[in-house]
Amino acid sequence: MIEISHVNKWYSPSFQVLKDCTTSVAKGEVVVVCGPSGSGKSTLIKCVNALEPFQDGSITIDGLKVNDSKTNLPKLRSRVGMVFQHFELFPHLKIIDNLCLAQQKVLGRGREEAIAKGRKLLERVGLKEQAEKFPAQLSGGQQQRVAIARALAMDPIAMLFDEPTSALDPEMISEVLDVMVDLAREGMTMMVVTHEMGFARKVAHRVIFMDRGEIVEDAKKDEFFGQPRSERAQQFLSKILSH
Amino acid sequence: MLANFDFDVIRRSLSYLFIDGMTFTLTLTALSATGGLIFGTLIALMRLSGYRVMGWIAGLYVDFMRSLPLVLVIFWFYFLVPYIGQWVTGSSRPIKVGAFASSLITFIMFEAAYFSEIMRAGIQSISRGQPAAASALGLTYAQTMRYVVLPQAFRNMLPVLLTQTIVLFQDTSLVYVLSIPDFLGAASKVAQRDGRLVEMYLFAALIYFTISCIASYCVRRLQSRIAIIR
Repeated sequence: MIEISHVNKWYSPSFQVLKDCTTSVAKGEVVVVCGPSGSGKSTLIKCVNALEPFQDGSITIDGLKVNDSKTNLPKLRSRVGMVFQHFELFPHLKIIDNLCLAQQKVLGRGREEAIAKGRKLLERVGLKEQAEKFPAQLSGGQQQRVAIARALAMDPIAMLFDEPTSALDPEMISEVLDVMVDLAREGMTMMVVTHEMGFARKVAHRVIFMDRGEIVEDAKKDEFFGQPRSERAQQFLSKILSH
Repeated sequence: MLANFDFDVIRRSLSYLFIDGMTFTLTLTALSATGGLIFGTLIALMRLSGYRVMGWIAGLYVDFMRSLPLVLVIFWFYFLVPYIGQWVTGSSRPIKVGAFASSLITFIMFEAAYFSEIMRAGIQSISRGQPAAASALGLTYAQTMRYVVLPQAFRNMLPVLLTQTIVLFQDTSLVYVLSIPDFLGAASKVAQRDGRLVEMYLFAALIYFTISCIASYCVRRLQSRIAIIR
């Protein structure tokens, strides 16, 4: 589904953020990307739907090359859902309109159809009653669930999560993770940048560990948690799992 | 001292002052603000577009307009537009442009420079995650601007835009250099006809003061309401 091949990215000639990153996400697979901050994991996931440009290598989604000037990027992005660390709901629009905007303007769905779809997804993430409110009236956890619903409204073939719980208060993390777990169990193709190792243990098929712009470890979940091959991954794991 | 004044002149000229004069002033203010906002937004988008030449042209335009006294622009524009029109259309004689059309175009162009800076600040106040989220949903650059960035920029900047419009309301009185009977022009005509300069100019000042004060008060209330919403 997602093929990342020898991707290199520089912010400046002397500062390389991604070094020869190669991996893939198969259809229906859930891949968790972890690593210390500044390791390039968020940058990598943003490269997947071309929110960040990269200089070298290639990424293809469902056979379409992302870094090709002939690719219709808006169309490609509309097929890949993305959830951000800071939710990024549109504050001037009601919750239901947040879910309808792209359905109507990008997919060309009618207003009625978009609203019906939006309400169904709000119900699914447990926020049916909030449809007429504005984002600022919702808690962080609720906002992030709306953001997931907004991405799902586009009927995506894959979902990208960029640290979806990092900006949340601890008691709100689980309500967001629950939605993500359900999604994973339904067979959604997911690439998730997160520090939530509990989530990774529960639903991930593979775990990618990044450090200083490199993919250091790319292993099946059980191998990764059982006995990581690299020393850096071992240190990372022992640090975050010690509490 | 007041005994020498004849305030009845105001009562007698009320309909001329307000129906002719103030209507013109308010029409010019509203049309200039609307036109200035539209062109100003386009200029702001040009400056932020990332295309160096477009940004450079827009920047030059803004600097140029902001470096000239408004009254001079009104004056020059009134005399130049007929010749520019002649040059553009290729006609044999200078084209006729009425004083209203000329002053309206001048104000739109002049205000566009100021509104563009306000809108630029407004657009830059939107966090970069917003356009990123819109792009990630598949919206094009134009759709992102139209549905996500500009509505928020406009809402955030509404108090500043309205304050600038109040300044514009006062500035429209400068059309007196073209002998147009706006509110001040009408007051001035009556004053000179009846020899009642002090009364009429006092009254005109009072009206400008009252309208601007009330408008400023409304803007401040709006500002605190917007602050609550955010």
